[in-house]
Amino acid sequence: MRILLVEDDPDLSRQLKRALADAGYAVDHAGDGEEASFLGETEPYDAIVLDLGLPKIDGAAVLEGWRRAQIATPVLILTARGAWSEKVAGFDAGADDYLTKPFHTEELLARLRALLRRSAGHAAPSLSCGDLRLDPRAARATVAGEPLRLTSLEYRLLHYLMMHQGRVISRTELVEHLYDQDFDRDSNTIEVFVGRLRKKIGPERVETVRGLGYRLVAVDGEARRA
Amino acid sequence: MKRPWVAVRDRSPLRASLVWRLVLLAAAWSLAVIILGGVALSTFFDHAAVQRFDNGLAEALDGLVDGASVENAQIVPPAFSNPATLRAYSGVYWEIATLDDAGNVVPASRSRSLWDRILIAPPAVVGAIGRDPGHVVFFDTAGPLRQHLRVAAMQGRLPDFGAPVVFMTAEDRKSVDSAVRTFATAIAISLAVLAAGLITAVFIQVRFGLQPLFALRREVVALRTGESERVTGSYPTELQPLAAELNALMEHTQEVVERQRTHVGNLAHALKTPLSVMIAEAQASPGPLAEVVERQAGTMSAHVDHHLRRARAAARAQGPGDRTPLAPVLDELARTLERIFQDKVSEIEWTCPEDLVFLGERQDLLEISGNVMENACKWCRSFVRVRGDAVSPRQLRLVVEDDGPGLDPAMRTEVLRRGTRLDERTPGSGLGLAIVDELVRAYGGTMSLGGSGLGGLALTIELPRAEA
Repeated sequence: MRILLVEDDPDLSRQLKRALADAGYAVDHAGDGEEASFLGETEPYDAIVLDLGLPKIDGAAVLEGWRRAQIATPVLILTARGAWSEKVAGFDAGADDYLTKPFHTEELLARLRALLRRSAGHAAPSLSCGDLRLDPRAARATVAGEPLRLTSLEYRLLHYLMMHQGRVISRTELVEHLYDQDFDRDSNTIEVFVGRLRKKIGPERVETVRGLGYRLVAVDGEARRA
Repeated sequence: MKRPWVAVRDRSPLRASLVWRLVLLAAAWSLAVIILGGVALSTFFDHAAVQRFDNGLAEALDGLVDGASVENAQIVPPAFSNPATLRAYSGVYWEIATLDDAGNVVPASRSRSLWDRILIAPPAVVGAIGRDPGHVVFFDTAGPLRQHLRVAAMQGRLPDFGAPVVFMTAEDRKSVDSAVRTFATAIAISLAVLAAGLITAVFIQVRFGLQPLFALRREVVALRTGESERVTGSYPTELQPLAAELNALMEHTQEVVERQRTHVGNLAHALKTPLSVMIAEAQASPGPLAEVVERQAGTMSAHVDHHLRRARAAARAQGPGDRTPLAPVLDELARTLERIFQDKVSEIEWTCPEDLVFLGERQDLLEISGNVMENACKWCRSFVRVRGDAVSPRQLRLVVEDDGPGLDPAMRTEVLRRGTRLDERTPGSGLGLAIVDELVRAYGGTMSLGGSGLGGLALTIELPRAEA
């Protein structure tokens, strides 16, 4: 397992390198954003530990660059800023997990193990419909290369529609396949979620077939996002 | 709305209110002018009326002088047609007198109306007419029936009569006096009405004239209470610079607060990496020293978190009120938490009207709902439900439920009680609701725990709502 560690503090870098090596990983180290961006795009890492406060290029910008370049490597971000606004920004930039400083080394190793296990679990091929792409391995979707910000239900809805693209899918079918809880759901709420998904991917992509249900249609380029 | 200026009202009105100051000054000035004018008018009228009265007396005197003749060394008065001179004490009188060698006035003939009385000229008048014969002198004297008489007197000579003769005509001045009194009363009433009108006009003028000042005050109150960020109204040229200065002051304050906040934030965050290093290093080489270092580093970290929150709260108290739509925040948090808890939580279902707006900062709303939702994710089995809805035009409610094991009612109150005791707060432990409670309280909201239909806890938070 090959890990990229991006951290500018020399003491913390030394400690983490030693801890990661002791845990049996091969570790590369980058001390600034430029080096990290280059290494992440050229080397096939299994996971990346990324500090957000970096010299030259900010960690979040580096991460967004990787995601735009379709690099799906799981990324664990480290940051001193623990407010929710910063966590949300980190995940929106494409992070898979988040650790707030100060942290215990064991915690970092445990999170990293979980991250690697998770990414190994997904092996499904990616789906596409027009310029809409969905990568089940990273549980991420993009439209024209731009990452979509979806909740898990919206993601599952899109996934289901993409697996059955072109076919009309009834509301009842969606309720049955999207929810795994055993308590009652109002099938009307599906309309709310379809509405939210339409807002995020562009309304023309999900067609309503009156009386029957919904259908995903391929739309390209210009007509995107009303 | 608070009206702080009411507090100074019990001082003297001149100092307390600009309106009173202006009205009182204008009133004092107008009153002085009006009173002077009234007095002058009455005096002029009095003079004119007496003048006319005197002219009448002088005319009658001329008639008396012209008509008088001498027969057998006796003065014969003219025959007057005016019946008033015949009726006793009618108020219209005449008298002809002679002067003896000693200069005493000796009545020779008088109107029948005088009856048993004579007109007596004071010595000063006798002297005055004696010095200038032919010149008419007027004087006041008491008459019968307490009449106030106006008398015209003149000394002349009659042909074939040796001694100088004094002619006098008199009339009760009741008529002229009452005319003067009536006029003075009318003048006083109309001037009083004028004064009242003037003062009212001044008051209205001042209230209207100072309207922009009151508007500015209302805007400053809105600034202070955080209802607005800037003075936005357009003001007269005298006030516009003040409004501009207020805005500049406001911006400066915000800048200073923002700078302080950034400083505190930078310091706190800068400490976190060294703390991480210390903790990791201490763990790597166990021993009594490492134990102390690790424990103290933990305490330092807790202090840093605490003061970061304090700085944020202070900045919030200073800053004006923000508006944050709820739905996008719930969407962001659901997305983020589903990733963080992706091994466990299958879904965070959130529902919220698109037009529901929280009256406060986005960061604080993220912190409140983030911690509550994270807490639910920690305790749930696989499902978390979040509902935002409007309670009233000024209040919104956020309910976060999970399908976890829940808490029995006694424990719920315990958890909330602990949340309210700020001094017992231990960051990073327990339900992590202390931070939420602190923030919710800062916004004047409430937080309560109950059971959920899903099986676990239902945490309900009420917060101020902004109009959409």
